[in-house]
Amino acid sequence: MKFPYAMLRDFVDTNLNAEQIGDLLTMAGFELEGIEEVDGDAVLDIKVVSNRGDGLSVFGLSREVLAKDLEAKPTALYTRAASRFADSTLAEHFQLESNAATVEAEECKRFAVRGVDSDRPLGNLASPEWMQKRLTQAGMRPISLLVDLTNYVMLELGQPLHAFDRDLLSEGRIVVRYAKPGEKLTTLNGEEHELAGQMMICDAAKPVGVPGVMGGLETEVNDNTTRLLLESANFLNLNVRKTRKQLGLSTEASYRFERSVDPEGVVAATRRFSELLVESVPDVRISNILDLYPRPPVLVPVKVRVQKASRLLGMEITLAQAEQYLSRLGMSVAVSGENELTVTPPSWRPDIVREEDLVEELGRVHGFDLIPERLPEGSTTLGGSKGVYRQADLVRESLVRSGFVQIIAHSLRDYSALDAPGERVAPRNPASPEHCVLRNSLLSCLGEAARRNGSRDLHLFEVGKVFSRSGAETSEVLHAAGLSVGALWPVNRKGDSVPTADFFSLKTALNELFVTLALGHAVELSVPSSLDERFHPTRQASVVLAGEPVGIIGQIHPEVADKEDLLAETVLFEINLESVFASGQPRIDQRSISRNPAVRRDLAVVVEKTVPFSALESAIKKGAGEVLEKHWLFDVYEGTGIEPGKHSLGIGLQFRKHGANFTDEEANQVRDAIVAELVSLGATLR
Amino acid sequence: MEEIQLLQSQALEEVAAATSTADLKETRIKFLGNKGLISGKLAEIGKYPGDKKAFGQAVNGAKGAVEAALSERESVLLSKERAAQFEAERIDVTMPGRPMRGGYEHVLQTTMNKVKRTLGGLGFEYRESPELEEFRYNFDALNYPPDHPAMDDQDTFYIDDNWLLRTQCTAIQGRVFESTKPPLRMFTVGRTYRNEAVDRTHSHTFHQVDCFMVDEGVSMAHLKGTLGAFARAMFGDEVKIRFRPDFFPFVEPGVDYAISTPKLFGGRWVELGGAGLIHPNILEAYGIDTERYSGFAFGLGVDRIPMMAYGIDDLRHFLENDLRFLEQFRGEPVA
Repeated sequence: MKFPYAMLRDFVDTNLNAEQIGDLLTMAGFELEGIEEVDGDAVLDIKVVSNRGDGLSVFGLSREVLAKDLEAKPTALYTRAASRFADSTLAEHFQLESNAATVEAEECKRFAVRGVDSDRPLGNLASPEWMQKRLTQAGMRPISLLVDLTNYVMLELGQPLHAFDRDLLSEGRIVVRYAKPGEKLTTLNGEEHELAGQMMICDAAKPVGVPGVMGGLETEVNDNTTRLLLESANFLNLNVRKTRKQLGLSTEASYRFERSVDPEGVVAATRRFSELLVESVPDVRISNILDLYPRPPVLVPVKVRVQKASRLLGMEITLAQAEQYLSRLGMSVAVSGENELTVTPPSWRPDIVREEDLVEELGRVHGFDLIPERLPEGSTTLGGSKGVYRQADLVRESLVRSGFVQIIAHSLRDYSALDAPGERVAPRNPASPEHCVLRNSLLSCLGEAARRNGSRDLHLFEVGKVFSRSGAETSEVLHAAGLSVGALWPVNRKGDSVPTADFFSLKTALNELFVTLALGHAVELSVPSSLDERFHPTRQASVVLAGEPVGIIGQIHPEVADKEDLLAETVLFEINLESVFASGQPRIDQRSISRNPAVRRDLAVVVEKTVPFSALESAIKKGAGEVLEKHWLFDVYEGTGIEPGKHSLGIGLQFRKHGANFTDEEANQVRDAIVAELVSLGATLR
Repeated sequence: MEEIQLLQSQALEEVAAATSTADLKETRIKFLGNKGLISGKLAEIGKYPGDKKAFGQAVNGAKGAVEAALSERESVLLSKERAAQFEAERIDVTMPGRPMRGGYEHVLQTTMNKVKRTLGGLGFEYRESPELEEFRYNFDALNYPPDHPAMDDQDTFYIDDNWLLRTQCTAIQGRVFESTKPPLRMFTVGRTYRNEAVDRTHSHTFHQVDCFMVDEGVSMAHLKGTLGAFARAMFGDEVKIRFRPDFFPFVEPGVDYAISTPKLFGGRWVELGGAGLIHPNILEAYGIDTERYSGFAFGLGVDRIPMMAYGIDDLRHFLENDLRFLEQFRGEPVA
């Protein structure tokens, strides 16, 4: 809310300058957004939080200044405003008919009208220069005396007003009722609205204004207006908000009503308008105020225990201070017990409903800057990440150790050829087509990141949520995925040969991940039972943990690579971390280390390529028994000298016993037993 | 005997004249080898006509003298040769390192890690809750009045009437209170969504920290102390904390907090997030006795931390994953 500092001085006699007032209001919860100099005066721009509609007027903010600045004194104008201009001494020249206003809608909490007649047109008069200047400073455009007066009083007191040309109102009267089907209204801004049951301000025949939002064009005051009907009213904030949204309107008035406007200020604003009008046009004739206020709100007292307040705030506030602070905010305060106050909140503070609300008021006025810093005491809990949260950390740490760079990408995305199959989850109100659906796979994110970085020599991973749907059920699951393409490390010395990423380099990283999770023993890759179309059909594997599939690894399908502008040799994996974390971890028991020497034997076997290496491994383990310390593949050869369809595999074996040395003969026996097992798989020694 | 004297001086001359350890090796073999000119004399001791003992002593004396000269000369030559070899092996240490592959975490991740270490160290337990959240946890459970503006389609992404993309990590609170009785200290770090157009300082997707505790006697001073400790861990020891009244439906009293440190923005106050005592309506809705217990909560944007610390000027960089951006933050300065 913008207003010139001079207007605040109308209400408060203070030694604080504009900047100091800005600081004071900021620390009171009304943040200074800026001070600018407009037309020689300082203009403050104050942000008012949504539950403090009472701060949307100079009068309201003056109250805050008086509460916090104990040196400040209220001016006569403040005192008059606080007593609702009850001292207004204007003579009433005529009486309005009792049906000049009728309220048929419950959401209209209060409705007051006053008639003003003049012998000469009022509509073409201009407001006094000082008023025009102040309105301009506050960011409002001066229009005419009548319109400016409504705006000026709203700025001063926070009460929106509307002036009708009474001669343009059918039967010169107002009915607040619900719109009938087919009724229309053209608002002041020239827009025509089709109405459907909304509460409307109507004359005897038709809608003439949107309550709390904007008046109608047809009944607006104009150059020829001599008879005025001034409306000052109060509407349910939810109703104003709903109607405003339906009609796509937003005004200074609706902004205030949506937050809250003091229902007790309705008549006061009418009085203030009238006296300012008479200052400009002394010969107008004014009527009585017809005030329809069927159910004035009941102000419910709230108790506050000052000791509790001090405890919650973490700073000491005395009973006397509490009494003073709350009184200065306009609350009626009574001591109702030892250290207890009973406080009746004023009509402009609907936000005060329970003790804690008053605790905040006490803290605010006393000063939140006086709260000391103390660390929590009492029951200490073990902090940090445990269980699956720690496991997620381990996954990232492992992939980083394997040389992968973490990306963090949008979950709201466009569709991609790297998406997984299946039903999707999407916001019904997407912000843009590029962000229209939630990812169901991290691979599209990795693909996009790879493209952004040139698509080659990249090793990337992401850990994040993916979303899918099965009918009405949506699910959200934590995944990890990696993408690897190109040189496994960069070269800057000619002649250094560097391997490039392939299925097997990625497999190593994936295996490391499971080892880090203490699940290395339980994971294996197998040919998937159904193919994933995003992957090369003969270069993909299902990642199987303890017999359950938990993910996929493989080379990208060349057609998908084309579509996604990625290299065909790109390899990818994605695993469901929640399935992985759900898998039981073994207890780790140390194996004692043998002090006896190991013996090594090498084998070269020729075998059909269709026999999986894992079958050979099982055979080796079976043949060797406990003495097999480790085994490893050291050569894969096919070509000259080997039958087509077969390959030769070089396998290293290392045996060791506990407490005894291997003799050559024993080692050969173990090797022979292994060979026998391999032969049963159709392998021959080379 | 004279012959031995002669051989000794001849050997010593040769030792002195040697220019390499290889020369010395030859000299050693020539004079002191098994059949060397000096050591070979020992074999002649039996045939020696004179004082055999004196002859033996003379041979051994010559051996010793030559051996001593050899070792002395050898150490001199060896260090010369080493020095020459080292010179020949000199490398240019300013040439680039041999490339290896190093993985690293995303700058938001390292920030989140730091947040987790700090709050974990203060005794807060890390938890997560869904990004795809129920309306009631995101709004109702947090004391939002019906029809609050934040619930608008223009502000929140809805999947349907009951499900939305959480607009704040605070949505975890109801879920925790449902299952955990106080005393409790928890925090979460996660992704949140708001229906906003993307520009330099706005995104529809961002990351938040939400931290809260409920115990007997929890006060605004504990909140300020915790935030102070947290902010000093994140931004350095000189950080000061300031509270200002603000309004959030889920706290009462509610404040926003700002930090100031000479290291950032010339000590200007910079708002970090919102905080306050958990609204008693929320605690009571979960059966927590507000006469006995109180709690505090605070939240802040993760993205703002590296933006402030590193002067990052465009929020969009974070989720675009340009490695030229990310690789700048591989190292983590400690506050």
